[in-house]
Amino acid sequence: MATKLHRCHDERRRLLRVNATQHSSTLSAIHAKGVVRRFGDKVAVAGMDLDVGPGITGLLGPNGSGKSTFLRCLYGVTRPDAGEIVVGGARLVGDGVAVRLQAAYAPGEIALYGELRADEHLQWFLRGRESNAWQRALEYAQRLELPLHKRVRTYSHGMKRQLMLCAALAPQVPVRILDEPTEGLDPSKRGAVLQLLQEDAARGTAILLSSHHLGEVDRVCARLVFVQTGRIIANETAATVRERAARLVRLCFAATVAEDSVKQTLQSLGGATLSSMVVEDQLRVSAQVAGEPREWLARALALPALPAPTTIEHGRLSLAELYRELYGVEGC
Amino acid sequence: MLREYRFAWWGMLAWFIVLEALLVGAILFWPSFEENIDALRDMAPMDSLKGMIDQLEVGGVIAYVNGQHFFKGCNTVGTLAAVVFAMNVVAGEAQRGTLEILLARPMSRRRVLTERWIAGALATIVPVFVSTHSIPWLMSYIDEDMAHWPLFLSAVHQSLLLLMLYALTFALSCAGSRPLVIGFGMLLFMLAEFSIYLVQTLTHWSLFRLTDIDAFAYIGATHSLEWTKVLPMTLAVVVLFELSQRLYARR
Repeated sequence: MATKLHRCHDERRRLLRVNATQHSSTLSAIHAKGVVRRFGDKVAVAGMDLDVGPGITGLLGPNGSGKSTFLRCLYGVTRPDAGEIVVGGARLVGDGVAVRLQAAYAPGEIALYGELRADEHLQWFLRGRESNAWQRALEYAQRLELPLHKRVRTYSHGMKRQLMLCAALAPQVPVRILDEPTEGLDPSKRGAVLQLLQEDAARGTAILLSSHHLGEVDRVCARLVFVQTGRIIANETAATVRERAARLVRLCFAATVAEDSVKQTLQSLGGATLSSMVVEDQLRVSAQVAGEPREWLARALALPALPAPTTIEHGRLSLAELYRELYGVEGC
Repeated sequence: MLREYRFAWWGMLAWFIVLEALLVGAILFWPSFEENIDALRDMAPMDSLKGMIDQLEVGGVIAYVNGQHFFKGCNTVGTLAAVVFAMNVVAGEAQRGTLEILLARPMSRRRVLTERWIAGALATIVPVFVSTHSIPWLMSYIDEDMAHWPLFLSAVHQSLLLLMLYALTFALSCAGSRPLVIGFGMLLFMLAEFSIYLVQTLTHWSLFRLTDIDAFAYIGATHSLEWTKVLPMTLAVVVLFELSQRLYARR
């Protein structure tokens, strides 16, 4: 009975907070427009626009691309120099406490209070959250097999990461912002964490996570946003990206083969966008095929002027390779 | 106990023990001091120190206890305590990289900082009040007596100076990220202030003029606070607190 009353009270408080800060013009869980953040002369975030709905969205990009700064701006930890941010219906104004009440955050850089026990640290993290967040944090910690009675200074990097994730998953909020949540975890823990995120997203939570491991976000993300030098260069559903990957064909030739001649021959076929590069004594020609890729491949291989390729790849290109082909940047 | 208050709690306890130990020693030393006051005056290397001994001789045990407890104990160890309680508050978090998780909790920055400010401020001044309250009891061991009310007012006066130093260090901590530099800087500043206090032509520029034997003699004689000193100190504390909030909000 008491627990039920507690829940009612928490829910009422939550609704009051939402109503107090509701931003009626925006339906996205996260809405960011023209977000800019500079550090001196360096522009870390150069005018990012993003709308995120329920489910898991992956923010991808190489180190130094501005992912973490953007996430900090969304959560109000770092103040943006310009732009508009609305998270969970709360507009980012002042010191951003309204946003922080509607969202939970796990930072990318791990710096904790080593002198505290892990359970004390969780309590410290959850101060200001609803009363049953603590119970949920304990459940998550149990699932991840974290020894909560130990001091945080005895924890490994990966265990600290999981502790922060427990604190970020525990509050009942519509939005979670997670900066590299699986960085430093072994494969089994990484799988367990991704499973937790999928379960949370299935309950309707909007999760925006950053990573530079394209392979892992490919597994869980419904939408992929690619960031480079402080700008969003692609924002697509995972299904679109997978479809695009399926229509990518790569032909490798001996380095002695003339690049221009091969490209001209393939271009004569039409129906594909070509790009090429010489890697490890090989000429790689990638074709983004507009129609059916196998049919295009069969026609290409039948061309008498085309030299015999050493390797043909189709349908098994990773996201990392796809982004390298499409945007000329390293994904991981 | 919340992490924020653990350091303040243990620090306050340590600071109280040191202050009380100094007080016990000073009060029990009074009979011997009174007996040897002429010899002590001869040994004093500077005119300003000789002048202080003259004041103690005229003021008797009350001036002596005020001088030992407030001017010596609180102004030296108290300054150290105020600086230690304040220097790590934000700069320490920035240095160890924990500022991000501190800011990430769903609380307003103003509330977080105010809570920390109050915890450190209490840790700085509570030992002053508690140890001051023990003076009449300790005095009974040397067959002397002191009234509680002027002692309480003296503790208020002394606490304001310590709060001012605490608030200054706190504001510096909100702006910086190297607590040791802030701490040493403040201690050097206080050393310079004390040096100025000892130079007769400059002494009126020293912060320690605010809490020297004259200040407590006034409280003892009038049983009231010296508002011309108390009000500027209070104002300085308020201004520095607000400055800290603004500096923290910009991080």
